[in-house]
Amino acid sequence: MELTVLVSSVASDAHTWNLVYLQLVLEELGHRVINLGACVPDDLLVAECLRARPDLVVISTVNGHGRRDGRRVIGRVRTCQELAATPVVIGGKLGIDGPRAKDHRAVLLDAGFDAVFEDAAGPAQLRSYVDTVLPRLSASVTS
Amino acid sequence: MTGVDGSFGAFVTRAGAAGRLVVQPRMGMSDPRLMRAGLVATRDAAATTVGTITLDSYTRVGDHAAARAALRDGLDLNGYPVVAHDLATTAGVLDGVLDARFPVQVRHGSAAPQDIVAVLVAAGLHATEGGPVSYCLPYSRIPLRESVLNWAECCMRLAAVREHGIEPHLESFGGCMMGQLCPPSLLVAISVLEGLFFRQHGLRSVSLSYAQQTNQAQDMEAVRSLRQLAAEHLHGLDWHVVIYAYMGVYPRTPDGASLLLEQAARLAVCSGAQRLIVKTVAEAHRIPTIAENVAALELAARAADDEGGTAAVAATRTGIEDTGILAEARALVNAVLDLSPDLGVALVRAFERGYLDVPFCLHPDNPGRARSRLDDRGRLHWSGIGSMPLGGLVRPRPVPGLTAAGLLRSLSYVERRYDHAALERSATGQPAVAAAGLIGDEPVNIGNDAARPPGPREHLASPVTRTVLTIQHRMLDAAREYLRGEGFTELLPPVIGPVTDPGARGAKQVDVDYYGHRYKLMTSAILYKQASLTAFDKIFCIAPNVRLEPLETSSTSRHLAEFHQVDVEMAGATRERIMAVAEGLVSHVVRRVVTELPAELESLGRDTSAFADLLDGGFERRTHAAAVADLHGMGHDQNADAEIDWVGEAMLSHKSSRPFFITDYPKGSRGFYDRENTERPGFLRNFDLIAAEGYGELCSGSERENDYATIVTRMRETGENPAKYGWYLRMVRDGVPASAGFGIGLERFTRYVAGLDHVWQASAYPKVPGVVAP
Repeated sequence: MELTVLVSSVASDAHTWNLVYLQLVLEELGHRVINLGACVPDDLLVAECLRARPDLVVISTVNGHGRRDGRRVIGRVRTCQELAATPVVIGGKLGIDGPRAKDHRAVLLDAGFDAVFEDAAGPAQLRSYVDTVLPRLSASVTS
Repeated sequence: MTGVDGSFGAFVTRAGAAGRLVVQPRMGMSDPRLMRAGLVATRDAAATTVGTITLDSYTRVGDHAAARAALRDGLDLNGYPVVAHDLATTAGVLDGVLDARFPVQVRHGSAAPQDIVAVLVAAGLHATEGGPVSYCLPYSRIPLRESVLNWAECCMRLAAVREHGIEPHLESFGGCMMGQLCPPSLLVAISVLEGLFFRQHGLRSVSLSYAQQTNQAQDMEAVRSLRQLAAEHLHGLDWHVVIYAYMGVYPRTPDGASLLLEQAARLAVCSGAQRLIVKTVAEAHRIPTIAENVAALELAARAADDEGGTAAVAATRTGIEDTGILAEARALVNAVLDLSPDLGVALVRAFERGYLDVPFCLHPDNPGRARSRLDDRGRLHWSGIGSMPLGGLVRPRPVPGLTAAGLLRSLSYVERRYDHAALERSATGQPAVAAAGLIGDEPVNIGNDAARPPGPREHLASPVTRTVLTIQHRMLDAAREYLRGEGFTELLPPVIGPVTDPGARGAKQVDVDYYGHRYKLMTSAILYKQASLTAFDKIFCIAPNVRLEPLETSSTSRHLAEFHQVDVEMAGATRERIMAVAEGLVSHVVRRVVTELPAELESLGRDTSAFADLLDGGFERRTHAAAVADLHGMGHDQNADAEIDWVGEAMLSHKSSRPFFITDYPKGSRGFYDRENTERPGFLRNFDLIAAEGYGELCSGSERENDYATIVTRMRETGENPAKYGWYLRMVRDGVPASAGFGIGLERFTRYVAGLDHVWQASAYPKVPGVVAP
């Protein structure tokens, strides 16, 4: 089953190679990707989610502001009733302190993300997560 | 010199005149005390330094409220929020640090830098970096048109600082589009165009950047091209070139990171750049500490000194090659300048029309049609040029369709190469630069992926593979059509037999146990072709061949251990008659592909005008002796009594615009079945067909020896044991027709037609010599 996946950075993050890479990974899994690119303001992300109604939102950020930007943007997404149940995941370099990182994961899960992939996570972890989205989606379609 | 003593540009120029490379960190901390400490440490480092205040991401995108909130909450930012901090705070950071001996530059990355420029000017600073294109396309989603207006305004604001008695300085970030995988000519062109934009809006002191890429020799050529174009376009301005240590995925080992930085320092010194912005050993992991920054500055300064400093080094440097970067960059610059006398208008139009097109850039205003690739020496090439005006200058080569894994391999090329070099150094005690061949252009033993097939799924699923195999399918159809039309009958060739062609050039045969007998996999259908003339006068087969070629052939791009030949044999034919068949066959196949599959060729970047000469007339014939003389004339040491070696073959092939025949090889160079010329003993009545454009040999053929006694004698001369050839010799003794024939390597022919880098791209299941593959 083909998912529509929205790939995006956060408002303050200008990096795009991570987005180019994730697009290829998801396309190779057979899914359709909408890539919003760098420095996506919260408003634009929410508007694109409402417009495209993606099956999954993948936020990737590597500039070290992910914890702060991520909490803010997921708050915006979850306040939209239409997007309350949309699977939204975040990954990348989430803080600026590298291996000494505090526990960003718990904070971001608590804020409303469905999964958090920290720097060391490989594409396999995203792939297996995407696999868990599929049955949920089929279930919601058939129910 | 336009600047007064305290200006950034004047400082760099003075250092350059004294033979010292200026080194500079990328440093920015949100805490003002730390920022000040960082500047002091930079100033006091054992190097000629200028200071940097790198701004944080919130400030870059103009979200000063978020920066203020983070400061209030005590959260660390990834740079110094110069707008969020009040002016007094910034004055405190700079007090007693900023002076004529230590200029400080603000680095940010904003496409709407009005606030930033206003604040930095108010704080007494006069140097920054950016540009309407380089700070917009890679990093923001602001429309290019707006970025141009923003930057024009900021240039004028910055230029006004001149009234305070100091010459303002602006650096183009154009040498770093996307950090990696952008071919150098585009980096050079954007840097020059932004320099011209700065001048148009009032700046008189500028620097042009170039970010270290993946191959030192290519980078040297690029920086020389940048300096050449700057000299042509920026006369009257104070300008210099600044090198950025690698801006892509950085080596993870401290030694690998240091090696890469040392290499950047050498690049700067040897290419005539005057400033270097360093990276630290922490680059791959986190934002570096002050101490790590200082260590990097001092390491770079030592490496520059070891290279002899900047004084006149570049001027005396020879041996920088010209692969066309200057011509490409010049074509891009000129095409953009022709669009409008106003640089801003010209730049916007250039992206609208696709004259400028940055590979892999996701910005909505980037055309997104150009593509680049890394070759097996780490050189960047265009694999697609979209609408850029480079048609006559570059011949884009198709690559297997980009996969996530392939992208990652390219992005991590430098990381792997330098980390590997560092490990080699610790393992062998050898200087790592020598161990990994990092200086020169030698193929390296890692990161060679571009020359190797990917795994079978990736290869088979690649759109390039599918397109190539579609072309090959049409070529087979055209070959069969042509040969059928000429009265040839297709036979299915045997795959194993008691004996096969003895082969040449060191290929090994594969043994098969056939009910206790040692059989061979066919290396050539030659013996069977001659025998088959007993049934039909004109035969052909599409024959699989297996030759375990020597390992060194794995890097020639043109050997496969398993391949196919279109094998043709014709009773009673002379060499001239069979050459005409070969010529007709090649022309017919090429014509059908060019006519019927133009979209496929286009998608591979194959310019069909390359075949104009081929389709226009017959192929030239020259003798082996004439070819050897040609090669000697080109300074190539070709043995006159032997097969033309691969290098020689490539040299001749490069010189030609259509395929050509080489005839009359000396007797020792070929097998016993090629007939010797009775009128010219010692020479064979044979030929090779060599493709144009460097693709090398396509086909070998000959009149055949069919006299039993002569064959046995020739076998003995070539070291073959006639006893092995029992069935064949019995056939010959009882009489096989005189004949001539040839075999065309199907994968090589496909490579030539499709314009592929590597012959393996023309096989669904490629077996590159020595590489284990399905």
